[in-house]
Amino acid sequence: MKKRLLATLLAAAMGLSLLTGCGGGSSSGGGSGEAGTVDTSKEVELVMYVISDRPAGQDIVDENLNKLLKEKLNCTLKINWIGWAEYAQKYPLLFSSGEAFDMAYCAGWLGFSNLARRGAFMELDTMLQQYAPDNYALQSETALAQATVDGHLYAVPTLLPTYTTYGAIYRGDIAAEAGITDTIDTFEEVEQYCDYIVANHPEMEAINEYSSGPETSLVWTRSNGLYDIDANLRFLFYDPSAEHPTVTPLYDLEGATDFYKRMKEWCDKGYWSKSALADTDSQKTQNGKAGLTFHNIDTWSGYTVQQPDWDFKYGTMTKDVAHLPFTQDCMVISNTSKNPERALALWNLITTDQEVYDAFYYGIEGTTYELNDQGQFTILDMDLYSTNAMWAARTMELNRNQAGVPEEYDTIREGWEQTIKDGVGTEKFTGFVLDTTNITTEVAACTNAKQQYGWPLELGYTDDVEASIEEYRQAMKAAGIDKVVEECQKQLDAYIESLGQ
Amino acid sequence: MKKEGFFDEFKKNKALFAMAAPAFILVLVMSYFPMSGLILAFKEYRYNLGVFGSPFNGLQNFGYLFSSGTGWLITRNTILYNLLNLITSQLFAVIIAIFITEIHAKYFKKVTQTVILLPYFISWVVVGVFVFSIFNYETGLINSVIQTFGGEKVNFYMMPMAWPVIICAFNAWKWTGYNSVIYIAAVTGVDGEINEAAAIDGATIFQRIRYITLPSIRPTLVTMILLQVGRILRGDFEMFYQIVGNNGQLFNATDVIDTYVFRSLITNPDIGMTAAATFYQSVLCFAIIIDRQHDREEDRRRLRAVLKKEGKKLWQRMTKI
Amino acid sequence: MAKNDKDMMESAPRKIKLSASSKAFYVICYGIVLLVAVVCLIPFLLLLSGSVTAEQWISFHGFSLIPGEFSLEAYGIIFKTPERILRAYGVSIFITAAGTLLGLLLTTMTAYVISRKDFKYRNWLSFFFYFTTLFNGGMVSTYIFYIQYLHLKDNMLALILPGMFNVFYLLIMRTFVNNVPFSLIESAKLDGAGEWRILFTIVIPLLKSGLATIGLFLALGYWNDWYNAMLYMSTETKYPLQYMLYSIQQQTQALSRIAAQAGIQVQNLPSNSLKLAMAVVATGPIVIVYPFVQKYFIAGITIGSVKG
Repeated sequence: MKKRLLATLLAAAMGLSLLTGCGGGSSSGGGSGEAGTVDTSKEVELVMYVISDRPAGQDIVDENLNKLLKEKLNCTLKINWIGWAEYAQKYPLLFSSGEAFDMAYCAGWLGFSNLARRGAFMELDTMLQQYAPDNYALQSETALAQATVDGHLYAVPTLLPTYTTYGAIYRGDIAAEAGITDTIDTFEEVEQYCDYIVANHPEMEAINEYSSGPETSLVWTRSNGLYDIDANLRFLFYDPSAEHPTVTPLYDLEGATDFYKRMKEWCDKGYWSKSALADTDSQKTQNGKAGLTFHNIDTWSGYTVQQPDWDFKYGTMTKDVAHLPFTQDCMVISNTSKNPERALALWNLITTDQEVYDAFYYGIEGTTYELNDQGQFTILDMDLYSTNAMWAARTMELNRNQAGVPEEYDTIREGWEQTIKDGVGTEKFTGFVLDTTNITTEVAACTNAKQQYGWPLELGYTDDVEASIEEYRQAMKAAGIDKVVEECQKQLDAYIESLGQ
Repeated sequence: MKKEGFFDEFKKNKALFAMAAPAFILVLVMSYFPMSGLILAFKEYRYNLGVFGSPFNGLQNFGYLFSSGTGWLITRNTILYNLLNLITSQLFAVIIAIFITEIHAKYFKKVTQTVILLPYFISWVVVGVFVFSIFNYETGLINSVIQTFGGEKVNFYMMPMAWPVIICAFNAWKWTGYNSVIYIAAVTGVDGEINEAAAIDGATIFQRIRYITLPSIRPTLVTMILLQVGRILRGDFEMFYQIVGNNGQLFNATDVIDTYVFRSLITNPDIGMTAAATFYQSVLCFAIIIDRQHDREEDRRRLRAVLKKEGKKLWQRMTKI
Repeated sequence: MAKNDKDMMESAPRKIKLSASSKAFYVICYGIVLLVAVVCLIPFLLLLSGSVTAEQWISFHGFSLIPGEFSLEAYGIIFKTPERILRAYGVSIFITAAGTLLGLLLTTMTAYVISRKDFKYRNWLSFFFYFTTLFNGGMVSTYIFYIQYLHLKDNMLALILPGMFNVFYLLIMRTFVNNVPFSLIESAKLDGAGEWRILFTIVIPLLKSGLATIGLFLALGYWNDWYNAMLYMSTETKYPLQYMLYSIQQQTQALSRIAAQAGIQVQNLPSNSLKLAMAVVATGPIVIVYPFVQKYFIAGITIGSVKG
């Protein structure tokens, strides 16, 4: 046990020093970086797996893209799609079958660190810099640190930052009707808005809650400046601003009881359906059946395009905004790849060449998308092709805004960028990657207990809040929460210590 | 008497061996060979090392099934649901099969026979959507009716005990038609002349059902039950997942092994742990069946003897099932 | 000819006078069958009506037997690229036909062997097959084995082989074969007929009802299978219809599950009406074809029974 911890620590430290060392080198070599280091004399077909349903118009998009790739890299790309309906079963199997393919989309929610730790990917320690120099030059140290597991670099992180913010997406027109002029970004204002909807719009639910689980606890913790230890363990939180943050289960946080009581009040007032956890309709807000959704800023921008008349607004309910891990979207090279160099060169091209990026991400101008004079894109036919699958390729420079997204989208994000300071507050912890190897069993059991006891509590489906909290606590104890907390705390402390060096 | 060896038998029945060979090989390759992979249940799976190269980790993969005492609960639920579903769906199928064969209006018979097969085609996802629109608290069909009559609304999603009934009803709804096809075939397989003769001899319809129809169904029923018992630890995942969804409050009454495994591993897929669950289900199934194996052969022998005699005793036995 | 047989069967009981209790039986019998039929039919009608209802209307009012606001939009989306659907139909029909035929052959041959009382290894063989219902390798190892050793990735055989043989069908078939008098086989043997000839000229003609039943089950199994396609197929031109249906129906749920964790903006999720329309498209052919098949099915049963 102790030995393993030591090993991880050592590896983490090694990884960091490795990165800082290389990071310096890359900035000087970055400018002259050419894909020319790859031998492109032989034509190859590269195979990439992505998660999404294959768009109907993918054939013409592929054809167009391959023409470009043939010319620039003497290769073609075959994209294999793993649909939304099946990714949970199929994705973990993909790397176990020994099937030969070159690259795949990966992400935190697909278990990136876990897969990397178990040897699913090819390590890119030197290859990334060598074969994808332009991409490498744009990577931040934080991003590379996040993609480093047990001392090896296993992924090419996205170049487009996403944020930890959660907030209220609500109807501007209804807020105006209710006489709310201030941006809704506190629990009190949410209450005011919801009370108005319950009283005046009986056809609507005030808050969109459905079967994938409530978002209320996340909003509550984020608005108090607390952060979850891992996106897969959203029952453990810590305070990034504290000098010695302690990992605490949600129900033991200060004010948790009051939070749960408030949620019961909200439920009793009818803010959401009493059968929300059985309701699979996630689109109630877009369809005008609900008044508010707690979610991220990208979801909000999507709503604004879909329903321009309803004046959707976004109120940030996160006290201390930071970047989400850059491995949130990333590209990995498979262990079975026969052409890893070419695959990286291809990725380099896609992420740094506007022409290729457009062909890869948006399709064909005039057929699948069009651009307005500000360079914003409009999808011409959602059923033919939409930009649904290639998030990992997005970069700050090449990404285009969708036409119809309000200007606030950029100003809000710029505002966040300004407040984020490297190594301060939550941002300090974006490089922290939890290793659950020693606690897999307990995590699985706790995840389950949270769904069984935590979710109903968060939605106020209980008669006696305090008794239910106690029940929840006991269930988590039985599931082994103490061991999970201990392990997380240990790793978090080690991380802080490693930063200090 | 000289004991015949494998080769003597092979020489004698070459043709029979040849007939069984394709299925034998198919099952051997498609079902038996992959069983070697169950070893994963005892390993920490590493992608780069493969199934046989990965290191062993003892019983660690089984831990999550039994931590917090859930292992017992979900095992119990799985068995109870399967028993309940087995009894209801087979019982309904037999009843419907008998009724349909007794119906003589040609078109009515044809149409109903087609219609009862329809639910088989409706996927559980769609059933799930319907279930929600029937039972939800605010706008559900039942609550709307209750409200119209001035009653007090019922929150089904907070009543765990209602769900075994609901699940069982939907299961029967979906499978009755499908299962009845077999029984209809078995019943119609009875020699028409026997039925006629019995009718002319003045046997009432009930006597005919008792002494002719039911005995003809019995071997099929026994087979069906045996096969279902073999699956007693495997829940129909889609059914439970689509009907119950993520409703934590119902889990104590509705959680089966497959749903528990799915929920536990959805955020953190683990190949070793998945294999552990399969292994657990298989071994337990095997234990249950081995225990029943003796009864089975007995049952068969008894059945054959009884079939030769008159049907009266059979009826008494039937009622015991 | 079949018609005569049937008429005979159906008209015979009518000649007998019905007692009061028999009358009551028929009332209950018809009543219950009718009730069950209605319970089975209504959800299907809801499905049909939902598929031609405007999405917003469903969202607010739920399902109804008569479309609240008529719209063919969902079908429009499905048939926007008709070649996709047609190709999927083609794949489904191919695997169903090929699989059912091969499966029937295998099942019948094996059932014949294990029903032969003079075959020494029949019990052993039965158990060999039965064992697979108790024990299996599970999804993970089966997947790895099929792909690494059998090379079934993106291979049509992956859609046909796994469903071809099933213990359930085998044992049902055996009960049918058991109904064939052993004396028939023995006398044929004395006449010098080989096993193959006995099977194909004597036994199989007597198995029509069994063949019809198992054939139907095999066909339904193949037609409804999406699971193998999900695991093993990666080229769209090889997707069967049910798999397309499955992915359309499930993607909403899967997406909403991850939306919370991923910084993803999801744009066009399939609507409820699209899910229902797809279900209609995938089920429709069977519902239309089944009554015709049923005619032969019932005829087969009757013929088999009269001779057997």
